[in-house]
Amino acid sequence: MKKTFQVINELKKRGLIVDYAVGGGIATIFYTETFLTYDLDIFIVVKFHPEKNIIDLSYLFDYLTSEGYKWKGEHIVIEDIPVQFIVADELEKEAIENARSIKYEGEEIKIFSPEYLIAILLRTGRKKDIEKVEKITEQAEFDEQKLKMILKKFGIKGGRQWRRNRK
Amino acid sequence: MEKKQKIMTHRGKFITRDGIFKRKEEFHKKQAKLPFEEKIKILMELQEIADNIKNNYRNKYKKVRT
Repeated sequence: MKKTFQVINELKKRGLIVDYAVGGGIATIFYTETFLTYDLDIFIVVKFHPEKNIIDLSYLFDYLTSEGYKWKGEHIVIEDIPVQFIVADELEKEAIENARSIKYEGEEIKIFSPEYLIAILLRTGRKKDIEKVEKITEQAEFDEQKLKMILKKFGIKGGRQWRRNRK
Repeated sequence: MEKKQKIMTHRGKFITRDGIFKRKEEFHKKQAKLPFEEKIKILMELQEIADNIKNNYRNKYKKVRT
């Protein structure tokens, strides 16, 4: 996975993406015990040209395919790891801005903080996302006040129900 | 059964249901504190195990069908 992160960092160095952070299952595993997951979700900030009115990622994928990486369904497989690039919305952009910088085998990577990760998972709200939230809250330390602020700011209602169930 | 009810396991060792679940919780928390690199190694092993199970299942299913 180190090589995968090196390729992703290279995308940033080359200016193909503005910024990124790891989310989803792999980010959850950073805070919890390991569980089975297959893909690496990379939330990205890209340059948006309002005059084009479209988010064009073709230059990014053209670069990756020119480097020999291939598509497998929705994922592009980078150094044996299926990677899904997700263009960040407002909440995810803020999560990227506030992401933690960590080292993975010497490679610096950015990963969502537990509070933003929980908020994003709650907003998605599928059963498997709620299971991840349960794991994080049981096994990791996080700032509950900060989480409440994020949920309120972005009007994430799933949070209220989840907190009620928690009591 | 009461949570504190003692259960004898072996060689005079006693456990309680409470104790089992407490130790389970502690184990999960300990696992959560492993270095990220270590967790990813475990994940790769898990993926391999899952793939093997899937392949075995598929092969078996194929054999039954053919």
